Amino acid sequence: MDRWIHPAIFFFIGALILPLFRGKAKKFVILLIPVLSIIDVALMMEGVYGSYSFLNANIIFGRVDKLSLVFAWVFTIMGFLGAIYALHVEEDGHHIAAYFYVGASLGAIFAGDYLTLFVFWEIMAFSSVFLVWYRKEPKSIAAGYRYLLVHVFGGLCFFTGMMLYYYKTGNMVFDKILPANAGVAEYLILAGFALNAAVIPLHAWLPDAYPEATVAGAVFMCAFTTKTAVYVLARGFPGFEILAIMGTAMTVYGVFYAVIENDMRRVLAYHIVSQVGYMVAGVGIGTEMALNGACAHAFAHILYKALLFMGAGSVLYMVGTAKLSKLGGLYKYMPLTMIFYVVGAISISGFPLFSGFVSKSMIVASAHHEGRIWLMLLMNLAGIGTFLSVGLKVTYFAFFGKESSIQPKEPPKNMLWAMGLTSALCFLIGVYPNSLYVLLPFPVEYHPYNLHHLSEMLQILSFTGLVFFLLVKKLAPEDKMNLDLDIFYRAGAWVFMKIDEKVISVLDSLWGEAYRAVGLSLLFKNARLSYGFDRKVIDGVVDGSATAVKMVGFVVRRLQTGRVQAYIGLALFMFFLIVWILLVRM
Amino acid sequence: MKIVNYIDFLRRNMKGLVRVLIVYLIALVIFDVALSRHDAHYMIDKIYAFWTIFGIVGCFILIKVAKGIAHLFLGKNEDFYG
Repeated sequence: MDRWIHPAIFFFIGALILPLFRGKAKKFVILLIPVLSIIDVALMMEGVYGSYSFLNANIIFGRVDKLSLVFAWVFTIMGFLGAIYALHVEEDGHHIAAYFYVGASLGAIFAGDYLTLFVFWEIMAFSSVFLVWYRKEPKSIAAGYRYLLVHVFGGLCFFTGMMLYYYKTGNMVFDKILPANAGVAEYLILAGFALNAAVIPLHAWLPDAYPEATVAGAVFMCAFTTKTAVYVLARGFPGFEILAIMGTAMTVYGVFYAVIENDMRRVLAYHIVSQVGYMVAGVGIGTEMALNGACAHAFAHILYKALLFMGAGSVLYMVGTAKLSKLGGLYKYMPLTMIFYVVGAISISGFPLFSGFVSKSMIVASAHHEGRIWLMLLMNLAGIGTFLSVGLKVTYFAFFGKESSIQPKEPPKNMLWAMGLTSALCFLIGVYPNSLYVLLPFPVEYHPYNLHHLSEMLQILSFTGLVFFLLVKKLAPEDKMNLDLDIFYRAGAWVFMKIDEKVISVLDSLWGEAYRAVGLSLLFKNARLSYGFDRKVIDGVVDGSATAVKMVGFVVRRLQTGRVQAYIGLALFMFFLIVWILLVRM
Repeated sequence: MKIVNYIDFLRRNMKGLVRVLIVYLIALVIFDVALSRHDAHYMIDKIYAFWTIFGIVGCFILIKVAKGIAHLFLGKNEDFYG
């Protein structure tokens, strides 16, 4: 195909025309848009398209290469699966926000320059926040504002870095940066990207906002923001050592919280931090195999994480809560949801035959190849935590465990279909890893199904299972919330409000009193003074001059007799007077 | 749903299930010991059943440390932020 159509266009147009449709036609349009975008991506050829000159900068809308294509594939597929899952949602605004969000993510991954990237980057933040706000609960509104503020901060880091970069290099081209050349500008851009990738300590927005999003909104959110960030990191910052270390730290940090959290969706949100950690570490290691692994894991992760959020969302939708302490025994009432959730759980844990096994292991193996044994061990420790929390803890306490009094039904058909299709994809990738490997940016020489890897994963997972069942009582979910680094801005805001309440407002009322006592009376005196001045002086002058004019007029009137001889006489008198004055004065 | 019946069947026969799983775990360890270690570069590749030990110790530590810290100071009431 010679002509290139930006796949984001389908989503943006779709968002604009959606309110024109009703009933079945609307549902058709909701599903049609992502299908068109998938076809568009399938027909796309590599190359650079949509290049314009603007304000001395080269704007590139379409850099199509293997790296952007692999993300375009999974983003459009996810757009379709998410649309199915959200099909029952009544509000047009919800669909429109989701479409803008997906479209902007596609815009970001095809952007070839920082300016275009920045614009789509911001559209993503401002459209996705509506997926939180549409939950319409006070907690969600507050979480949405925090989400937005944090992302605006990240956007500003990115923007400042971008401007410094332009000042330094004179161009806006977004391409690979060598660690040796990186200065303040590059590191500010990196910080902006890292915030969206939820790299600790810039991660707290994620487990804060995602669990408060709508049931369908969370499915969209878990896919796009962090994975767009992984893409830009893979594009711009491969081989940055700090990413390898922070990424590995993220993998452990995320599962640590997942082990102690109570809300299903919060457990999953912390797992995004953990799983994106693998990708960030892969980018940081920076070899071809590691970058392949980061892309493969992003692809697989989007699918199984969406599947897990769909499962948890179904529980929330049908039961009204996703708190593990209030759930139990759901396998009897929601068996299909349970099966789909378990498929997601064993995919994320890396069971053979499912997608995590063929993607995560590429990153772990690349760390192994590079001799980064500590990184590899910590990633495998995070793998233990993944299976422990998402695979065992959530499955056990939500679907099995103690019987609870709730007897929900299965969720609506569209939700089940979305989960079924996503499950099938997770299985397909696990069984035919080449279906994913052909999409990766570099040629793949890695074979996940070798005996050592099988033995390694099965030992880790099976013995984790053993310890879980020995210590299951220790893991009982508790009605608690756990502090995270968002305390710095949440408690910071609270402290600010207290200072405002206790100090600033007291100072303000003191100032008011002082003003009333001193300022107002001074003002009154001043007013009286100027009143007097106006009355006596100004009026006096004005009135006086008026009286003078009147008097002069009276005198002059007497001279105007109308007789010519009198005028001549007067003129002669004046003439002699002037002559006399001149003569005497000379 | 058939799947519910299967699960109920397994839950009724927990003892048998546990026995099967223990045999499976032992088989896993034997399988790992039997694997060739010719191309092992690093120390951890040479230890027999390394990932078994790693799985048990790692999982144990993770639960203890995470729950310990949660009880120590991370866990707060749900209305902590109001």
